[in-house]
Amino acid sequence: MAQSETPPSPDGTKRRDLLATGTLVLGCAGACALSVPFLNSLKNPAATPLSDNTLEVDLSTLTPGQNMTVQWRDWPIFIQRRTSQMLAALQGPAHIATLRDADSKILQQPKDATNWHRSVRPEYGVLVGICTHLGCVPTFEKPGSAPEAKGGYFCPCHGSHFDAAGRVVQRAPAPYNLPVPPVTFLSDTKIRIGHSAGDPGFSMSDIQQI
Amino acid sequence: MTRWTRPLLLAASLTALPAAASTPAQRGLMVFQQVCAACHGMEHVDYGDMSALGLSPDDIRKWAADQELPDGVDDNGDPKTRHATPSDPMLSPYPNAAVGRLANHGLLPPDLSRLALTLPGGADEIRRILLSYAPPPPGVKLDEGRYYNTALKWKHIGMPPPLQDGMLTYPDGTRATSAQMASDVSAFLNWVAHPHQTERRRIGLYVLVYLALMAFLTFLLQRRVWTSRR
Amino acid sequence: MPSPDRMPDTEPSGWLDRRFPVTGFLRREYVAFPMPRNLNTLWSFGAFLIVTMTFMIASGLFLAINYTPDITQAFASVETIDRQIPSGWFIRSLHMGGVTMLFACLYIHLGRGLWYGSYKAPRELLWLTGLGLMLMIMVTAFAGYVLPWGQMSYWGATVVLNAVHAIPLIGHPLSELLLGGETLGNIALHRLFVLHFTMAFAILGVIALHVAALHVVKSNNPTGIDPTSPAQTLPFHPYYTSRDGFALCLFLMVYAGLVFFLPGLLTLADNYIQANPLITPRDIRPEWYFAPFYAILRAAPSRLGGLILATGSLAVLFALPWLDRSSIRPATRRPLVRLSLPLAFASFILLGVAGMHPPTEAWLIVSRVAMAWWFIHFLLVMPLASEREIPS
Repeated sequence: MAQSETPPSPDGTKRRDLLATGTLVLGCAGACALSVPFLNSLKNPAATPLSDNTLEVDLSTLTPGQNMTVQWRDWPIFIQRRTSQMLAALQGPAHIATLRDADSKILQQPKDATNWHRSVRPEYGVLVGICTHLGCVPTFEKPGSAPEAKGGYFCPCHGSHFDAAGRVVQRAPAPYNLPVPPVTFLSDTKIRIGHSAGDPGFSMSDIQQI
Repeated sequence: MTRWTRPLLLAASLTALPAAASTPAQRGLMVFQQVCAACHGMEHVDYGDMSALGLSPDDIRKWAADQELPDGVDDNGDPKTRHATPSDPMLSPYPNAAVGRLANHGLLPPDLSRLALTLPGGADEIRRILLSYAPPPPGVKLDEGRYYNTALKWKHIGMPPPLQDGMLTYPDGTRATSAQMASDVSAFLNWVAHPHQTERRRIGLYVLVYLALMAFLTFLLQRRVWTSRR
Repeated sequence: MPSPDRMPDTEPSGWLDRRFPVTGFLRREYVAFPMPRNLNTLWSFGAFLIVTMTFMIASGLFLAINYTPDITQAFASVETIDRQIPSGWFIRSLHMGGVTMLFACLYIHLGRGLWYGSYKAPRELLWLTGLGLMLMIMVTAFAGYVLPWGQMSYWGATVVLNAVHAIPLIGHPLSELLLGGETLGNIALHRLFVLHFTMAFAILGVIALHVAALHVVKSNNPTGIDPTSPAQTLPFHPYYTSRDGFALCLFLMVYAGLVFFLPGLLTLADNYIQANPLITPRDIRPEWYFAPFYAILRAAPSRLGGLILATGSLAVLFALPWLDRSSIRPATRRPLVRLSLPLAFASFILLGVAGMHPPTEAWLIVSRVAMAWWFIHFLLVMPLASEREIPS
């Protein structure tokens, strides 16, 4: 290899620069490649599909006006049995005027729950109990427990209000209605959460937001 | 799966021989499933890990579902079970060590996760033990539940002879002799005890080639820098 | 508030330098920094140590993300890292191989300092911070070895903690501080995990002190005579950056060879069996880097004596700048040290080999002779040579 005595020699400078730059670039590329396994290790090793996850719930102990919480896919699921007063309150025109998405236009529920009561059967409501604002779990306002309590949900974090069908009230910070999971009635008092007979293609990953 | 194993598996499936043929480790998995798993578990290995041996996700799911795992309590407070999934470990068939001992004359069948690494002699020793059963010579009286085996120092073992010629049928037509099965299952246990070995060597080769190239470049650089000084 | 200055703010280095003079610092300490012209390859091991330490911290952090310091889950969590975590086997091997590379470089770096007299004035603080680093790394390595909760982890820790018990007066309180009880259990494992994690960063801090001290007193060199004029020095960059870069590539090839092709050497097979307080493994051995001290511990006929001798073998190194009063640095120019020091190196290696073998009568004798020479060299030969020796 030809060596130049003095660095300023145009030939020598150029060659050294190419060699130095090449080494530097290759070294940096190596360092980047080394970071790949480290970042890779942060991935979830057990990323198994949860699609076949279903939960059967017995509703026989639920009395009208009561709400129960079960766990499905690590989410709290609210199941409420509605009284006729609760159902009537859901349909009041004055109440409907206060809602953000009264007709459930935004995809937050399977097709068989896209109705005024947002459930398969009017007397039972099933909702994912996660506030669509920032993910806190709302509390149930048991009808009769206070004058203004009509069986809706109130989020303690930032004051979002949902009615008994999980529809969000306009003045609340939460943007969407509470999600409705896919539900199938196996009998009058038994439901399966995780599969919807009325909308078999429904998947929780399709909805706007949990 | 890591981004390295995926191309590896893809390459393996492309180069795979017709469905009938199989590697010793694959046949060994069959022996493990049908023979060893009756008493032994591999508590640090997941069912899903077997996909690296070419077992299909459906087969893995079906195999895993054979195992029942405790799953909390039901509404009445009674213990519940569920079917294992591919991300569950291949536990011992015994619910706990006490039951395992009770069922095996006081000896607990060891876990096989790392046996080929921790047993002195490794996989070869496993093969040797499997093939060294013999009738006890006259005058030798063994305790109940102990079997005569010349591979061991004290010539007896708690495991009944597990292999018999033709006890299973390999789908690739390999004859399932005891010797064949012992070789296969020790190859399988060796694979289990040294996870990612093929991948490790393959990546290691790339790394060494890269470092050799870097060494060459820095050597040139260094020589040029130091020569120009004089 | 912008103020007029020589460099305009549009120049990135000017903007930064006026607020925080980092580029100027780097240029002064790592580009133009004067180095002796005649350093050999042994002077590259400091760079290897820094690189290995970086690997250790990075891989350690990612291991800690997946590790569970609980005696019922620690072993399984390490198995999960090895088997199921994507690339986990690589990160763990990098960490385990790193320990071996770290200690190998550490001992060579130390040996180089002994051979070329790098501990002598004005480099005493450099020497002491370096020895402090070695002790810290030893403590960290010991704590780290317990974490996988394998058989060797458990029994190695048991032996060491019983040795701690042998220290008069403070032994029991010290081990209780460390263990939170009388025996190795959950509390101990959790404390050792925190110790391991914290020490790693404490080591980084002391490395900064060590390097700062180096930049004050500058590097020693094979002749032991500090350069007096700029003509006798070379700037750090590009001369030593390029040379260290080349040496580093070779070093990393050895490291990679260990990680990718010889994973069996990284730890003892028995450590893949979960800790069992009822069974001691038949073939219990320390990791190679602790073997010399383990051999000293065993060579002494009494428990406390072994502990004192093992500690003393390190203490003589701390005292060395004051035991060796000669003003001549390199052993090459000191006829007596030139003979005695290689024998001390050989003693250290022999002790290491003895520590890895079962304590038969022959190995005990070897250990005792080697240990005796280690102490004779530092406590007798060095002070005497300072007085009697005629430099060549």
